[in-house]
Amino acid sequence: MENDELESEELDEFESEETNREIVVPGEVLTEDVENYNPGRGTLLNKDKTKIIALNIGLKQIKKNYINVIPLRGFYTPRPGDKVIALVVDKNPVKYKCDINAKDIAILKPKNAIRKGKIRGSRSMEPEEFEIGDILVAKIISADRLNMPELTLVGKYLGKKVNGIVISIDPPKIPRVIGRNGSMIKLLKNLTKSNIFVTQNGRIWIKGENLDYERLLIASIKKIENEAHTVGLTDRMSEYIENEKKNRGIE
Amino acid sequence: MPLIINDVYPEKLYREDGKRLDGRENNELRPIKMEVGVISNADGSAYLEWGNNKIYAAVYGPREVHPHHLAKPDRGILRVFYRMATFSVFERKRPAPGRREKEISMIITDCLEPVLFLELYPGTAFEVFIEVMDADGGTRCASTTVAALALADAGVPMRSLVSSVAVGKIDGQLVTDLSGIEDKAGEADLPCAITWFNEELSLLQFDGDMSIDELNESLLNARKALDQIHQLQLTALKSKYTSILDEVEGGKN
Repeated sequence: MENDELESEELDEFESEETNREIVVPGEVLTEDVENYNPGRGTLLNKDKTKIIALNIGLKQIKKNYINVIPLRGFYTPRPGDKVIALVVDKNPVKYKCDINAKDIAILKPKNAIRKGKIRGSRSMEPEEFEIGDILVAKIISADRLNMPELTLVGKYLGKKVNGIVISIDPPKIPRVIGRNGSMIKLLKNLTKSNIFVTQNGRIWIKGENLDYERLLIASIKKIENEAHTVGLTDRMSEYIENEKKNRGIE
Repeated sequence: MPLIINDVYPEKLYREDGKRLDGRENNELRPIKMEVGVISNADGSAYLEWGNNKIYAAVYGPREVHPHHLAKPDRGILRVFYRMATFSVFERKRPAPGRREKEISMIITDCLEPVLFLELYPGTAFEVFIEVMDADGGTRCASTTVAALALADAGVPMRSLVSSVAVGKIDGQLVTDLSGIEDKAGEADLPCAITWFNEELSLLQFDGDMSIDELNESLLNARKALDQIHQLQLTALKSKYTSILDEVEGGKN
């Protein structure tokens, strides 16, 4: 299983050097120097255009002449192209309804669930069938503020999951679980000998060699979630996992 | 035998040494303690102890609206449920929401709406559940304060926080932050709330009698108290994350 490919910009934001670790809360004035700075993500220029204020609880980041706030809490907003882990909650002859941890239920139409490749002896254009409660890794093909998001299962690494465990964390902290250029996820995979698939909607699919490794991995991910706003997390995590391995007597 | 406590109000609301019954100065707030992230299953939550008031708030959303006919196609809605526990007051409070609960739920909704970007979430609702565990005057102000904290903790985009306090008049003197007994036996009660992004009043109710000059002075007193409460709110929100930061960096050194 491969890592989820995120834009490099998003991977960097927590570890970026420009991110000073200042925690800001809604309404806090980020700067009054509106000549040199522009409001970026999670910020707002006030009506008199005299100051830039934060909209979320998060970390202040200055990138070139933009001021951003990287949120520490929040909900998942579906965007086209995102890979998500979906839970089938309802089915009828024309569509499946899936919970993707967003405000709307997502829709999967059978035409988007055509089996990959051609199976010998069967007709090629036959859609796969799912039951209520199935876990799917899907991609969002359309999403906006007004309509229900639509999913597809056509693509690499997409389809039904038959084993493993799905855990969920706060969606804004997903970039931290992946780390800069996937460094954190590589570390987790190597040290716990597990398969991990991280998706944008805050859900993580894991499959370890045995239950001990899976438990250790879940504890590690919860620790990352808890300490997402701290510096030098990757180094601390490798230390933590090695220690825990000794304590738990794994290997 | 049921315990019967008579609602007898003292004749004077000031002690002999010139302080108020609970030992406060005229413009002194009751001790306030705030905490966020207290309910793990909620999207955001907060707890507030304000004098003898003890209040929990939990935020969920954005999520589907039930009943569905309340949903607005062009914008989201904010629903506030203010409830008092049966044991929160002297005489057992009947648990069904009454006229007072509905009114307070409505004024808190109207008070918090201006700071939210509801137009970004059409067809959905943000739901705030406020549960008063212990009541001793000024619960509507305390509830507004704690609801704003819970919304910020949930990561809902907000223009700013909202703070609220009650000012009033007892025994001919203007005071800040009325307690339960001062609220009932006093002359005037003026709860007000401020939205910090434009520094405008978002809630203003009035009960009793007071001259225009006294009203203006009361509002100036309220402004000073609101600044203090706002600082407490900011510290409470940040401390959730700074405490982890201190722990981690303390362990390294």
